[in-house]
Amino acid sequence: MIAAMSGPSAPPVAGFVESPFNPMVYEAVERCLTARPGDGSRTAMVLASTMGDAATLDLGSRLLVAGQVHNPLLFMQSTANAVLGQLSREFAITGPLLCLSTVADPADELLAAAELLLEDEELDRVVLIGVELTGSERTTAAYRELRTGPPAADLAVAIVLDRDDPLPHPPSDIPSAPSGEYGTLRGLVELAARIQGPTP
Amino acid sequence: MSREVLLTGFGVRTAFGTGADAVREGVFDGRPAFAPITRFDTGPYRTGRAATGGPAAPLREVLAEVAGAAVAMAGLPTGAGAAVLVGTAGDFTGLTRFWRTADAPGAPGSTDSPGSPGSPGSPGAPGSPGSTGSSGSPGAPAAADSGGAAQTVPGWQAEALADTLGLRGPRLAFTSACVASATAITHACRLIASGRADTAVCAGAYLVEEENLAKFDSGFALSRDGMVRPFCADRSGLLLGDGAAAVVLESAESARRRGARALGALTGWGAAGDAHHIARPHPEGAGLVMAAGQALRRAGGPRIDYVNAHGTATRYNDPAETRGLRTLFGAAAARTPVSSTKSTTGHLLEASGVVELVITLLALRDGVLPPTAGFTEPDPHCDLDYVPNRPHKADLRRALTLNAAFGGANTALVLERA
Repeated sequence: MIAAMSGPSAPPVAGFVESPFNPMVYEAVERCLTARPGDGSRTAMVLASTMGDAATLDLGSRLLVAGQVHNPLLFMQSTANAVLGQLSREFAITGPLLCLSTVADPADELLAAAELLLEDEELDRVVLIGVELTGSERTTAAYRELRTGPPAADLAVAIVLDRDDPLPHPPSDIPSAPSGEYGTLRGLVELAARIQGPTP
Repeated sequence: MSREVLLTGFGVRTAFGTGADAVREGVFDGRPAFAPITRFDTGPYRTGRAATGGPAAPLREVLAEVAGAAVAMAGLPTGAGAAVLVGTAGDFTGLTRFWRTADAPGAPGSTDSPGSPGSPGSPGAPGSPGSTGSSGSPGAPAAADSGGAAQTVPGWQAEALADTLGLRGPRLAFTSACVASATAITHACRLIASGRADTAVCAGAYLVEEENLAKFDSGFALSRDGMVRPFCADRSGLLLGDGAAAVVLESAESARRRGARALGALTGWGAAGDAHHIARPHPEGAGLVMAAGQALRRAGGPRIDYVNAHGTATRYNDPAETRGLRTLFGAAAARTPVSSTKSTTGHLLEASGVVELVITLLALRDGVLPPTAGFTEPDPHCDLDYVPNRPHKADLRRALTLNAAFGGANTALVLERA
């Protein structure tokens, strides 16, 4: 079991522009998989995000509204699948690729998904990812309606679980309400911190 | 011990209308539904055609319609602990509406350029803080909330649908693009087979709107001749289509206990990545072969009588899928009918998997192979039986339905006639 986090200073990733979403996911996962290599053919990846890549989505929408031409790169990166595809290519991961959206802390859902996937005898490892951006006017309005909130800074958390690892449980001593610092990623950040030690 | 997964109800809506008979009259008759888009100005784009069925409706209403029909057919009671798993990217019309209002000249926070930061505000969001629901807890928005920015959030759509249906199980949105609803179905199969859930409602919806038309246009992915011609030499790309469907999946024990009638059985499922490219499929269909291989192994290696292909009519997909099917079936590939119903419905994006599962179910139950419509001359690299243009009667027992998406994600489902 290993965990890593990434923030808005994540280095760029070729082919991805304008948004820190994909570079953060890439960096957090890359740190885990480089430190703990495994068999990609027996690895699944599950990414969870309430808002997804709002920077790309909102930029595309504002370009449309302004009557400006879309950048084809925004098309390529318009789903979170794209960065999972980049990671799967680099780490030869051929297991299932899942992208989820929940309106609450994704720690429970990610761990439940990991437990379920690891029952598959063809899988030995699951990469779990939680990612949120601070967002836009639109996501601010959406968060208000959802009565939740974004992290204080763009944030991605990755946790790699192997079949032999004891399945961790979401921290029960952490309030389920989102925190001002980590938003809905609060539980996942705490879980990563307990796996990895203090957060950077 | 893996539990059997049965399909006990469905609801479907395409450009042909709502319900199975509309699918029979359109998809199974091989009538492409493509026509000029009237929902928005298509002047800026190379293509102004899609398969649209009447005026656009809010995504949550369409999801509620098809899922309500599925639940009614299955006789699933309100209050059941069924999981609600939805393939959706959220309501894109809400996204456009938000920015049209926010970026309108004179609007609070409006700016001259999309690249410039706007000031905080909530333009276009009719919901006010604290006014959205009765539960008062994060993660439980009321479905009656009438249309703020939250509708653009995929997870909200799953919450709203579960609230509307009165179902109490886990709610989750799958956002994996063109495999989103197929991934929801594979997830439900795992949940049910493992004993973690008895019942799941799996849904997906996509309605043609300008955001995605602009994206696909910028990627030169849309057909140039106004038709979708999968596996043909003169294919030039995909067209978008309205689509929504829902299925009720449940364990055999649950169906027996409730007295629900099985319409089909999901005997195999698989998901795999290409590990090849962020947007293009593996040229040999590697991930598709792995996903389908898993599904067939899980199903006990049965003979497959029909394949509902992903078949997007794009340059890269169709030969890759054909090569993958040849690898998968070997010599049997030549005598296995394969069709792409996107040739009539258009590409339904997140809804593709669940709508195409319903089409496949109807094929099995009716004993009819839905054709690949608009078929001209086959691509020399596409050399299977694509059921060109006309439906065929056939005794179909088991079928495979395939989907693929950006990032090299692939899914496969094996459906058996009940």
